[in-house]
Amino acid sequence: MAPIGKPAGWEAKRSQALALGLAPALVVLTVITLGPAVYLVVTSLTPLNLVNPQSALDFSHPLGNYRDALTDTRFLNSVWVQIELSVATVVLQIAAGLATALLLNAHSRFLEAIRTAFLIPMVLPPIVVAIIWKVIYTPDVSPVHRALAALGLPLASLIANADSAIWAIVVADSWEWFPFTMLMTLAALQMIPSEPIEAATIDGASRLQLFRYIVLPYIRPTLVVCALFRLIDSIKAFPLIYVLTNGGPGTATEVTNYYGFQQAFNFSYWGYGSAIATMMVAGVFMLSSIIGRLDQRLGDNA
Amino acid sequence: MRKPVDQSKTPCIADDQHKPHDSSLSLTRRRLLAGGAAAAVGGATAASGFPYISRARAADKPLSGTTLNVSCWSAPYPKYLADYIPEFEHATGAKVNYETPSFPIYNQRIDIELSTRGTAYDVLNITFIYAGRWIGAGWFEPLDGFINDPKKTPAEWDAGDFLGGTTATMKDSKGQLYGIPWIADVIMAGAARADLIHKAGKKMPDTFDEVTDVMKAVHNKDNVPGFIIDNHYGWTWIPWLQGFGGNVFRDPPGDLMPTLDTPEAIAAADFFANLLTSYGPNGVISYTYDQVVAALKQGRANYSPNNQTFLVQMGASDSKVASTCDFSLFPAGPKGRFPAVSTHAWGIPIGSKNKDAAWEFIKWAMSKELIARMVREKGYTSITRRSLIEQPDFRQKLMINGRDVARIYLDTVELGAKGYMKYRTVPVYPQVDKEIDIAIQNIASKQKSASDAMKQAQANSLTQLRRSGIKL
Repeated sequence: MAPIGKPAGWEAKRSQALALGLAPALVVLTVITLGPAVYLVVTSLTPLNLVNPQSALDFSHPLGNYRDALTDTRFLNSVWVQIELSVATVVLQIAAGLATALLLNAHSRFLEAIRTAFLIPMVLPPIVVAIIWKVIYTPDVSPVHRALAALGLPLASLIANADSAIWAIVVADSWEWFPFTMLMTLAALQMIPSEPIEAATIDGASRLQLFRYIVLPYIRPTLVVCALFRLIDSIKAFPLIYVLTNGGPGTATEVTNYYGFQQAFNFSYWGYGSAIATMMVAGVFMLSSIIGRLDQRLGDNA
Repeated sequence: MRKPVDQSKTPCIADDQHKPHDSSLSLTRRRLLAGGAAAAVGGATAASGFPYISRARAADKPLSGTTLNVSCWSAPYPKYLADYIPEFEHATGAKVNYETPSFPIYNQRIDIELSTRGTAYDVLNITFIYAGRWIGAGWFEPLDGFINDPKKTPAEWDAGDFLGGTTATMKDSKGQLYGIPWIADVIMAGAARADLIHKAGKKMPDTFDEVTDVMKAVHNKDNVPGFIIDNHYGWTWIPWLQGFGGNVFRDPPGDLMPTLDTPEAIAAADFFANLLTSYGPNGVISYTYDQVVAALKQGRANYSPNNQTFLVQMGASDSKVASTCDFSLFPAGPKGRFPAVSTHAWGIPIGSKNKDAAWEFIKWAMSKELIARMVREKGYTSITRRSLIEQPDFRQKLMINGRDVARIYLDTVELGAKGYMKYRTVPVYPQVDKEIDIAIQNIASKQKSASDAMKQAQANSLTQLRRSGIKL
């Protein structure tokens, strides 16, 4: 039944007006987002090699690139490296961001100044961050290496060692991006009402209990969003790897994104590169969905 | 992209010849006066690098209305050239849009541009590592037609003056030339602290065995690591591979079966990785070429078989080792001496709408007169014209601490003309290049034995080549 005072076709007309208003934006979105995405998927079904542009229309083996990927040891290795890098960076950034936010969650001019200083890495251009860490990790010019050597504790190059190279990237990436989690968490912390904390304090709850039973449930959605953002961003990791290790030593830091870039832009295998990119997009969607459901389930159980 | 210039507005000698009648050629008083002025301007401009243009048609600004889009990666020569381009524009009337992006940006941008047969550029650098791919795919115009046509290129321009080793990689399998080389970069050997080598009673090593011997004697003397080389092993390791009797492919460019798992290749990889790990600085496998140059100039590393353009910087006034550096030919292995020679060259992309005007630009940019001025006025040394290299003042420029680097340079380019650089002219080399980088890093970082790493490089190279459609 139509609401009193509104003509029967009012809702329909309102919907039409909204659709009409949204149409230009939707058209633009379709052209600039969906169009390239569809082209990516279509290209992934061809063996397109820029040396042979006619291969753009060769759909004789549409799943050939995907089959190749399943037997490509470098691709499979890159997926594993990607998982290592993503898990390590997300966990470290959430932990560091949360810890820093808890420490800085107070009103004082000094802490506000520190908060601003912590934001610097995040606002630096990624390539600048990469160059800073290149200097830190290059033994003959690094102040860290020199200081340790002066103390009689020479340190082998971290980016030239297969065991430590990935962790060198993790540390650099976390330094750059933990302020994002810190900022989001700080905002969430400041939105927590004071009443439940005061009540629990009066009831004798310890600081750990306050955090576990009051603070964490409040900020958990924020942490999940941060984790999701950082997870997606970690899959796009590029400048640090490009500048610091070039995927090496060997393939120790060759993540899927970087491998796909090489296949497409260095070797002109656009079909294969598109297949890798398509699989990455699918992977990100799946992960987002899983994390979203996990959060929902945790929320229901809370 | 930029709008192509109307070809009808770009007169050139060849086009003029085909016109049935051109009223502008009729003799008038005004034209005679203009001709006189042209002779005067031509005389002046001949000495500045474009005598052929000026002599023929400086009076009427033959390229007036033509816009040439020219691109090359950023290196000393293209940077120097930028300073002279206004002279070309003034003499010809052409407008030149000139850009010099960084090496990787240039290659990626141009690779895509060429693959689409784009018309955005008229003159492009043919990058050495892409030469086989770009030429093999038919993305550049053969230049023989321009060179052999006396109306387009006078004999005194002397196309045969370019070193054979530099033009060899710019030819296709039929011997057609696609690029005029503006640089010959060769791998030779340099020592930043040759004084330490001499103090140990040794001389600059001439064989692989001597390299090991000298490294044992000088490593970490005066806190200077003995050996350094940049981590582009698909370039820096190949002379060692060939010195051991191996090669990248079975018989390039005809037979592209990779041969990275042969006993020779494994021995070469093992030997080379041992030099890196035993005598290199901490983290040597992460060193890029700019880091290597900095380390050598600062005296933070000693011996390096590397590009001539990098090594001669040790003799520069801002180098801390200017008085202690020394140079030699790349050492010989058990099977001979195979120093790498790389070349970059000016070419005309197939999609250019101004090919004749583009050739005029290349002819000017690579003329004896202009290159001689660059040597004289800018100190440019990696030149490709034999007649200029042989001149005493040039030889003097490359005499560093009594060592005739120009002689080393010429000898190396001559060696390069023997054909062992063919591996690098195949279109799929970048793929194999990357597999070699990975293999050497795997060995030097102790992730794999030489045998396992090279077998993996072989298998991955096969996968890459098959992906590119090559039947093996």
